[in-house]
Amino acid sequence: MNPRNDQLRHKNRRLAWILGGFALLVLITSFPFWQNIFKVLGEAVR
Amino acid sequence: MSYTNALHDEAHHHDNPTGWRRWLFSTNHKDIGTLYLLFALTMLFMGGASAMLIRAELFQPGIQLLDPDLYNNLVTNHALLMIFGAVMPAAAGLANWMIPLMIGAPDMALPRMNNLSFWILPAAGTMLILSFVVPFFPGGGSQINTGWTLYPPLSVQVGMSMDFLIFAIHLLGISSVLASINIIVTLLNMRAPGMTLMQMPIFCWTWLVTAFLLILVVPVLAGGVTMLLFDRHFGTSFFDAAGGGDPVLFQHLFWFFGHPEVYVLLLPSIGVLSHIIPTFARKPLFGYKSMVGAMIAVGTIGMVVWAHHQYTIGMSLGAVSYFMIGTIIISIPVGLMIFNFIATMWRGAMTFETPMLFAVAIILMFTFGGLSGVMLAVVPADMQYHDSMFVVAHFHYVLMPGAVFGLFAGVFYWLPKWTGHMYDERLGKIFFWINVTGFNLTFFPQHFLGLAGMPRRIIDYNVMFTEFNAISSVGAMIFGFSHLLLLYIIIKTIRGGEPATNRVWEGAKGLEWEVASPPPFHTWETPPLIRQEQTS
Repeated sequence: MNPRNDQLRHKNRRLAWILGGFALLVLITSFPFWQNIFKVLGEAVR
Repeated sequence: MSYTNALHDEAHHHDNPTGWRRWLFSTNHKDIGTLYLLFALTMLFMGGASAMLIRAELFQPGIQLLDPDLYNNLVTNHALLMIFGAVMPAAAGLANWMIPLMIGAPDMALPRMNNLSFWILPAAGTMLILSFVVPFFPGGGSQINTGWTLYPPLSVQVGMSMDFLIFAIHLLGISSVLASINIIVTLLNMRAPGMTLMQMPIFCWTWLVTAFLLILVVPVLAGGVTMLLFDRHFGTSFFDAAGGGDPVLFQHLFWFFGHPEVYVLLLPSIGVLSHIIPTFARKPLFGYKSMVGAMIAVGTIGMVVWAHHQYTIGMSLGAVSYFMIGTIIISIPVGLMIFNFIATMWRGAMTFETPMLFAVAIILMFTFGGLSGVMLAVVPADMQYHDSMFVVAHFHYVLMPGAVFGLFAGVFYWLPKWTGHMYDERLGKIFFWINVTGFNLTFFPQHFLGLAGMPRRIIDYNVMFTEFNAISSVGAMIFGFSHLLLLYIIIKTIRGGEPATNRVWEGAKGLEWEVASPPPFHTWETPPLIRQEQTS
């Protein structure tokens, strides 16, 4: 295996995982659990 | 940008798989691009057939061919097939074919994931078609009558066909996100040595912005329909007011996806135009940097103006003012792109082959669609136009020229490169004129229908709307059947024709024109060396 190719493959996979993780984060935050978190935080501040 | 290809050798040592294995197990970007394009063409005809049925029904007032539920099912099916089945896969097909060739990469960064991204699509397409078909079987439940927006509470009440649709959307979303990840990684990591981001062809830039948009918005739609599924089957009340939920939340989630989706459909075609216009004007693209800035601005602002689709839900004055102003601001970067195209053509040595005819038509008709968009962005006006045929006319004037005609232009522009044969220019021009005439006959009268008060998504209408509806339906038949000519031209070009040169078009510039027509199975295995003389 060409070391440059191996390095590139590793770099590609790493970036793909980062982007995939980001997409998953967006998916999870689309569930409105944070509405109640804001409510609880708001009440705590008051 | 110029390049040296001293080491480029087309690597004959690689296997060229044949038969069904070539397509099923393919990791080759050109083969996968072809598969995407064939899938999109199939879906285009299915979505087109449903549109023609809708227009056949609306030819006269009263109920002739369809029943109301089937009519609404067709409206839903048409939109989903066209958006998710035809336009997005076609744009992905162009991306797969052209991005590696344009940036001097041997393939996409993650070829196996590329294979997966495509092969999810036929499964998703089958689910989508099943969602249309299932109600016709015993016990199949009611038809989907929600339109593509799937608003609850109606979408919670629909029969099992909605579950097929939800899973189809999940699969389509997974395919889109995987393809987007692949495109971003390819563009960021696989460019030929010496090619900076600001030297990338504009088509690549449009896809970089599009791919980021998809990663940001598709998971939100997936989340929305997952909650819908939970409300339907698992006793949750995300969108049920009686259980403490809010149906308007779904609208926000849907349009947070739905509005940027418009730019997802538009931007790749803008990228195609950014290549076609300089080629046939025989001038470099005017304002490369401003084009890049404009498309990033369109993507960014487009993410934060979704609720202009929801003015009538009763938002606060502050909220509607914000969404109105934000929406109108988008016309600035979009206008800048249009002016850049006009400036590119200015004093150019223009010729009007089929791709350029489409490009000029797109500029005119897309601008028209944009202007009616500004009308719809204004809150008091939108209160009148909302859910009328004016909206249908508007978004077809945006999406047909802005997205579909751009893809047609791209197909005509690159078909000689892909097949090694020139298409029949005379037939191409005939197709253009029939297609564009049919399109305008179909959708121009719908502006008047909407302004006069005809609602959308209703099978019947008042007799006062008869004449414009008849014209629109005749136009739709011309428009719909004209695509058979497109199919004939494509098949004819694949089967033979005048051999295409490597460069194909006299004014074409870029790495993709340096490889043979058709390109060998493997290209750019030794990357070209980019000399940094100019940046566009």
